[in-house]
Amino acid sequence: MGKFAKVKAAVCVLMVSISSNAWAVQESHPAIRFEEIGAKAGVRVQHHTRKFRGKNAEVLRMFTSGGATVAVGDYDNDGFEDIFVTDSDTGKPNHLFHNNGDLTFTDVAVKAGVAGGNDPLSVVSDALWFDYDNDGKLDLLIARFGTPILYHNEGNGKFKDVSATSGLNKFGNTIAVIAFDYNNDGYLDLMFGNYFKPVNLQDLKDPHVLPNDLDNATNGGGVTLWRNTGKGSFEEVTDKAGFGQISGWTLDIGHGDFNNDGLQDIYIACDYGTDHIFINNGNGTFREVTEKATGWDTKKGMNADVADYDNDGWLDIYVTNITDEYMKECNMLWHNNGDGTFTDVSRETGTCDTGWGWAGKFADLDNDGWQDLFVVNGLRSAGPESYVPLILPVITTPGLDITDVNNWPDIGNRTWSGYQKKRLFRNLGNGTFKEVSSEAGVDNQLDGRGIGVIDLDNDGRLDLVQTNADQPLFLFHNVTEKQGNWIELKLIGVKSNRDAIGARVKVQAGGLTQIREVDGGNGYAGQSTRRVHFGIGSASKIDHLEIRWPSGHTESVNVPLNRVSYIEEGHGVVADGPLRQSGNPSGRLGVKSSR
Amino acid sequence: MIRKYCSHFLIAVLAILLLCGLAHASDSDFQQGIKALGSNDFATALRYLEAAVTDDPDNVRYASEYRKAAIKNKDFDRSLKFFEKLTSDHPNSANLHLNFGFAYVDKIPVAGSITQVILANNALAQFSKAVELKPNWINLYTRGVSYLFWPKVFNRAPNGVADLEQALSVQKREQRQSYHAKTYIALGDAYWKTDQLDKARAIWQEGLKLFPDRPELKTRLAQQGDDLKNTIEANFDPNKRVDTDLRDLWASSQK
Repeated sequence: MGKFAKVKAAVCVLMVSISSNAWAVQESHPAIRFEEIGAKAGVRVQHHTRKFRGKNAEVLRMFTSGGATVAVGDYDNDGFEDIFVTDSDTGKPNHLFHNNGDLTFTDVAVKAGVAGGNDPLSVVSDALWFDYDNDGKLDLLIARFGTPILYHNEGNGKFKDVSATSGLNKFGNTIAVIAFDYNNDGYLDLMFGNYFKPVNLQDLKDPHVLPNDLDNATNGGGVTLWRNTGKGSFEEVTDKAGFGQISGWTLDIGHGDFNNDGLQDIYIACDYGTDHIFINNGNGTFREVTEKATGWDTKKGMNADVADYDNDGWLDIYVTNITDEYMKECNMLWHNNGDGTFTDVSRETGTCDTGWGWAGKFADLDNDGWQDLFVVNGLRSAGPESYVPLILPVITTPGLDITDVNNWPDIGNRTWSGYQKKRLFRNLGNGTFKEVSSEAGVDNQLDGRGIGVIDLDNDGRLDLVQTNADQPLFLFHNVTEKQGNWIELKLIGVKSNRDAIGARVKVQAGGLTQIREVDGGNGYAGQSTRRVHFGIGSASKIDHLEIRWPSGHTESVNVPLNRVSYIEEGHGVVADGPLRQSGNPSGRLGVKSSR
Repeated sequence: MIRKYCSHFLIAVLAILLLCGLAHASDSDFQQGIKALGSNDFATALRYLEAAVTDDPDNVRYASEYRKAAIKNKDFDRSLKFFEKLTSDHPNSANLHLNFGFAYVDKIPVAGSITQVILANNALAQFSKAVELKPNWINLYTRGVSYLFWPKVFNRAPNGVADLEQALSVQKREQRQSYHAKTYIALGDAYWKTDQLDKARAIWQEGLKLFPDRPELKTRLAQQGDDLKNTIEANFDPNKRVDTDLRDLWASSQK
């Protein structure tokens, strides 16, 4: 990273500091507060990691301790967002929690036909809502250590397994999946992030499956990219698009328009070695720019969330790594310098240390116009003894083959980076964050994995779902008082993909300009709401709101404050949003359109 | 008989001349290396200093300056290979093992977090060989401090206490040197890391009496709680470069 970039980043921090002084809501900071309502809401389900058989069982279980994921989406278009939660052990069901609209939920997974997936040879590892056929109803993809399952939403509360005809028939040890329209053809494509190389861990023929280097591993599963044909199926384009050389241990993928050219770019977070950043060439291919953009790293990348945390008009990226008593990696908050380079400002912003980090998600939790950051952490909380000293001989014995599962000691009841407090970083609007998890009521010590940001009750205060490995789920209801004004936009693509994933919204209000993009599953083990949420503090009106759709169409829209608005591409605000979303046309409200 | 004595005499003279010549050669190489180092011509410096160390492998200064050039040239692997070969050729040179250990330490800040552990462990093995061969102050002090870099979960700080107490014992029998202050600082840190705060403060006090100008001792004695923790922990951050220059050994003035 050049000196110029660092100076530029520092100047940006200074600019943010100056601009924040003009932001009225910064004068007072009401405390962010949450109430954990998982049990009361009926979603307090326990996750179970996959158990393996044989003498390597505990080692493999330890290396595959993911799979506790959440996906947020309004599958029945009733205007309330629902929650899909995965389990991972053999025979254990997934959960589809239908939002009853009164802060309670009903598990309808079995009735809907989406509870399965944890068969003896496959492990459910991630989930994603996306409308692959643009019929206005969210379909569901279940990623697995195995082949994925694609469920088509039949629109009557039931889903149909269409995996066999989807073309998604390639085995992979997938841990992350995102949907985005990489070629802007109006259909959502899929990118899978794969952890292990494609061998079935349930039926292990060769024990040499673990990383070949713990800082620079090259024997992971990489990524695969699948193009939506628009005919209900997908075809693999990994090599053609330029991702064929990635062989890292992918844990997460984040997408966004990093260079403001209207195309969706990619950040790949990898365990045991370098992350990767790819820029979309606009012709169906991508080019890797890691060396110039961020430089190569040796860290344990777990998460890639994308947001403009400092409101400078450029999307930044947050990556969690491992920072503990025995390993001092520090997270990476990649500040986008706007010139093709990024500067890690995690230390300067106070977001460096989150223990053994997993998901980290940006969200404006107090509606002050600055996106806060919630991070979950902790690998394995068990007995009083630590597993770490047992690993030392594995790491330091010359010539020992660390890819062989037989060379790793069983963890037994030992703890490994467990009992870690979750971190909630409040964005102070001056380029720094303050850790407030305790006062906010989210400083639990469960072994967190995924985060889903959701507005449970449509009150404009963003709520949080926290999944935990081998532990129960937490649902945090945002009860922050005296929060700022807000708008929430549900975008409906017409020429663009129906979910409007990749759409960018720019809002000017109260002296600040903010941007958001609709994302298709950024952040480890959690898909957040696809609604675009803006807090605007004490501002009483939106000065300007502009949407840049993935199709390239841009339009300016007027929206009311403090309510959820549905906006259809080219038609502005539509009064009957949920119906419109599901394909029933209706009238329009104020719109100013341009192409 | 006379011829025989003459022959022995000539051989001896020849041997002395040869030794003088070699010593001279290594010194010449060293001077050339230092000159190149001074003008930031690191490639040349490395070449001359490698020749100097090869000719005089137990010369702690030559090896230290060589590592300095390797650090500046970011040529850590070359340095490691060089010392690996040389320690193999001269397994009984304590100073060579000491510098080999430091060559591992020199690479730690640019390595990944797991590789850092491997490098630290390798360094420790070399420091231990140096102690075995020559349990003098520098070897005991170095290994003692290296134990303190290990995270608490590995429970190596008690070994650091033992080495540093022994180093203190050694230095008390020697003429006082300014670098001896480091033992008081490090031993106090070792006590602190093993939850013996009273002993830590006592040893820092003892050190301050002998070395009243050392700010590290003053700072530690003035601090408590998290401030003291931050001061101490800042010295054991694997991502920060440790000063492994051994110049104190030949540049120290008595205090």
